[in-house]
Amino acid sequence: MRLLRLREVKAFFQGHAASHQLGWNWIPRLSLSPKGLKILAASLSCCRWLSDRQRHELGPSHPAGPGPLSGLGRYLQHCPHRSPLLSVVLYPQVTPQAPRGLHCSTAAHNPDSPLVPRPPEPQRGLVKALAPHEELFRQAPDGVRDKASFVQAVQNFTQYNVHKRGHVDFIYLALRKMREYGVERDLAIYNLLLDIFPKEVFRPRNIFHSIFLHYPRQQECGIAVLEQMENHGVMPNKETEFLLTQIFGRKSYPMLKFVRMKLWFTRFKNINPFPVPRDLPQDPVDLARLALRHMEPDLSARVTVYQMPLSKDSTDATDPTEPHIVGIQSPDQQAALAHHDPARPIFVEGPFSLWLRDKCVYYHILRADLLPPEEREVEEIPEEWNLYYPMQLDLAYGRSSWDDYEFNIDEVEEGPVFAICMAGAHDQATLAKWIQGLQETNPTLARIPVVFRLSASSGELLASSSGLEETPLTPPEGREEEENNQQRQQQSQS
Amino acid sequence: MSGCGLFLRSAAAARLGRALVAFTASRRPLRTSPPSQAFAKELFLGKIEKKEVFPFPEVSQDELNEINQFVGPVEKFFTEEVDSQKIDREGKIPNETLEKLKSLGLFGMQVPEEYGGLGLSNTMYARLGEIISLDCSIAVTLAAHQAIGLKGIILAGSEEQKARYLPKLASGEHVAAFCLTEPASGSDAASIRTRATLSEDKKHYVLNGSKVWITNGGLASVFTVFAKTEVVDSNGSVKDKVTAFIVERDFGGITSGKPEDKLGIRGSNTCEVHFENTRVPVENVLGEVGGGFKVAMNILNSGRFSMGSAVAGMLKKLIEMTAEYACTRKQFNRNLSEFGLIQEKFALMAQKAYVMESMAYLTAGMLDQPGFPDCSIEAAMVKVFSSEAAWQCVSEALQVLGGSGYMRDYPYERILRDSRILLIFEGTNEILRMYIALTGLQHAGRILTARVKQLKQGNVTTIMETVSQRVRDSLGRTVDLGLTGKLGAVHPSMEDSAHKLEQNVHYFSRTVETLLLRFGKTIVEEQLVLKRVANILINLYGMTAVLSRASRSIRVGLQNHDHEVLLANIFCTEAYYQNLFALSQLDKYSPENLDELIKKVSQQVLEKRAYVCAHPLDWTS
Repeated sequence: MRLLRLREVKAFFQGHAASHQLGWNWIPRLSLSPKGLKILAASLSCCRWLSDRQRHELGPSHPAGPGPLSGLGRYLQHCPHRSPLLSVVLYPQVTPQAPRGLHCSTAAHNPDSPLVPRPPEPQRGLVKALAPHEELFRQAPDGVRDKASFVQAVQNFTQYNVHKRGHVDFIYLALRKMREYGVERDLAIYNLLLDIFPKEVFRPRNIFHSIFLHYPRQQECGIAVLEQMENHGVMPNKETEFLLTQIFGRKSYPMLKFVRMKLWFTRFKNINPFPVPRDLPQDPVDLARLALRHMEPDLSARVTVYQMPLSKDSTDATDPTEPHIVGIQSPDQQAALAHHDPARPIFVEGPFSLWLRDKCVYYHILRADLLPPEEREVEEIPEEWNLYYPMQLDLAYGRSSWDDYEFNIDEVEEGPVFAICMAGAHDQATLAKWIQGLQETNPTLARIPVVFRLSASSGELLASSSGLEETPLTPPEGREEEENNQQRQQQSQS
Repeated sequence: MSGCGLFLRSAAAARLGRALVAFTASRRPLRTSPPSQAFAKELFLGKIEKKEVFPFPEVSQDELNEINQFVGPVEKFFTEEVDSQKIDREGKIPNETLEKLKSLGLFGMQVPEEYGGLGLSNTMYARLGEIISLDCSIAVTLAAHQAIGLKGIILAGSEEQKARYLPKLASGEHVAAFCLTEPASGSDAASIRTRATLSEDKKHYVLNGSKVWITNGGLASVFTVFAKTEVVDSNGSVKDKVTAFIVERDFGGITSGKPEDKLGIRGSNTCEVHFENTRVPVENVLGEVGGGFKVAMNILNSGRFSMGSAVAGMLKKLIEMTAEYACTRKQFNRNLSEFGLIQEKFALMAQKAYVMESMAYLTAGMLDQPGFPDCSIEAAMVKVFSSEAAWQCVSEALQVLGGSGYMRDYPYERILRDSRILLIFEGTNEILRMYIALTGLQHAGRILTARVKQLKQGNVTTIMETVSQRVRDSLGRTVDLGLTGKLGAVHPSMEDSAHKLEQNVHYFSRTVETLLLRFGKTIVEEQLVLKRVANILINLYGMTAVLSRASRSIRVGLQNHDHEVLLANIFCTEAYYQNLFALSQLDKYSPENLDELIKKVSQQVLEKRAYVCAHPLDWTS
């Protein structure tokens, strides 16, 4: 990894032979095992969070907010614990999909607020100048906010502003507005925004230009555009490259950012072995189905909807009578439950949280305690089992230690989990209905005592999430949410 | 025949063994020699049991004349009267054909003469199998009837049972079927669901359950059925054990489903058989109550060797038909037969047919020897080799035939479809490979126990001995197991091949020792290793068989024995290099061995239950 970084910097200074070379030569180095991937992704999310926090600490007016090169050193300096994990991933420019999709990943960004650095001007004072081109976005006659009207607004700006006065402000504004228009994942729009920059003006003309930050404000604005693309997982294309070379030249920071995106996107785009679809279903039952499938490793497991919500309108969790109950159980779990000793109680536990992109859902599990070692049945090979060949050899010696490649791992054994469910309400009455439903396919369950061990969920999270499950995020809530995340991450890291 | 497949592994088998001895003694009063060591097992220890395989087993001139008299009409019947295409189209063997088969006595080929059968020896049975296999549907029907269906009665039945059932079965008045497979149980005896419960008067068992894919299920009136019964074992606990029953259709409660629609052998009748409260008298228990597992194993092990000769018969016919085509079809003013790539295919077919024929008759001859030979490994090897060679050769033949091989107007595609089942039934080849390797390793492991223990404990003498052996091996010493030379069993024209065989056997035994040292009893889990061990052993057996047979042909002065020498030398050389490769793969840290990678790939595919790679045209975003 460190090698790679050097190469990349070199490539940048050699004037971009880089993207392809870097793009392909180094793929084998990244072949990690799934476990390794998880660690990497986890450290990524950690790194992301650090970078976000950093930005908050430094304040948005810090000139090098997303500064590509110097940023690395700073992260390491400010980093409270310089863990070796961090040194694995030095780049903050990472597609957000990777950490977010992970099981229980807490990296739920509200893509609105903190990632786009505010233009420096507003903070400097003039409140009136906060949004000099706001009216362009207010014009929509019929109130429809879509791609066409956004493009119209941008075109209006370029049309009436032949000299492109205030284009940096406008681009920052447009970046902030993109989400409202639902175009934050549209590559064409980003290219359109970059196209606003006047061409050839900001290109460094000599070596000193390129050593010292040439037209810093414009370069930063260009980086901001790319940064927002990155945060939404939009891969830049040839046109972006062409625009950037036209605007800033090859030896510029936006170009460096572009090269890095080209390099790292390809590596991190599919780093999550458990991908979550980009658009989550709105229906809570569908969402629960998706989440359960996401958690259950056995592909032959069956999802059962034990109870549909009362009606389409009353899907909110406050309706206590008919919340949805969706459960999943695999044939192996069913068999394990059938063999469970009815004298031992089994437990319904939860709620546990699961993050799917920006949504948090809660699930409950049906589990039993681990059998004490003296009561476990030793699995013996029946004498007359296989009609065709011996299942075991009658020899006095086993595998030699030189051929024993098993690592000596201390494994913590846990009790079996028999089923998972997601319900609209987390009270005992609802979960009892789930157990009733399970009894239809697991007759033995009727004889086993079931103990409900429902933890009082941490109120704050639950409150915000019960809103979250049904309604899309509203910006202020999202902000709060993210801070919660950060707190939780801090807790989990400490 | 009766001895074939006896596989003594435990006391229970020994009990059964006594029953078998009693039976065979009545047929062959001369039995003084001790049970002979099986040939294949000794290969694991680096020994070639010459007296087992050299000279190639022969039959006397009288016996040969006798069988030829018999073969003539059967062959005439099969070539002139059996319409295989019609049987395949209609999915049924016509009644008159079945009647003719019965009148020829083909339903009782191995039933002893005192019960009205032909009482053929294994060699004779193999010879007839060559002709019967000209129509695979008929061959499978007959095999299901006598190789497994009524075999239980011959092997484990009491005198009363034999007297009662065998005559009618031998005449074909009754057809037999073998009911073992269940929806949930293929080779797993523990998951048999069919149950037999003793009635209150203790005179009947009540049988309930269903069996699937029963060949002759719709025709048969006598079934060998395996079912779970409750057995009280020595320490008083009640256990479920498999018991074999002879069940007549007349007992009631037996229904068979509609015939399955199959890829090949469409003329044979395969269907489900359901038993519903079928009352089976206790006298119809085959063998002992709770002893059904061993009965099933013996039946299955005994039926396999005949596939070799059957496939060889089919291949010989196929070579004739294909050669006819290749020598008449003209392209670019040349016959197909003049093209090297076509010639190669004929050499391959001839070679495979020769090898499997040699293996089959060698095994049959071993089984016919007095004594009590345990040839189940050999039989399994014959089955694996011949079924795979059949598939390969038929495929090559179709390649020669080009488009006409693919058309339904010609018989070739039918042969292809028919031969596919050979790799699957009577124990799939994968399972049989496990059987071959594990049985041999068990034998070698027992004998090497002391040595392995000494090595593990660090006994200096043993270690020095082993090291010096290995050093001598690595210096490329010549291995001489006494096949060649002045009094050698192999003719000098195949001296090289014999040396190759000796060398392979020697290094094979070394590898076996290393494997046992490395894996011990956990080798059961190393299926890829076991597969290679089995492959090597099959090749070794094939080499032995062809060397033995070709040497005999030279000695007796058979026609075209020089051709046989050619085939033997080709096969031995090919097999030698295959063995060397497999042996090197079995070394530790061998660069040829890709097992780890292969396991990884399959693991990932199976985890996803799909092809894992992205589409070649995909982009990252």
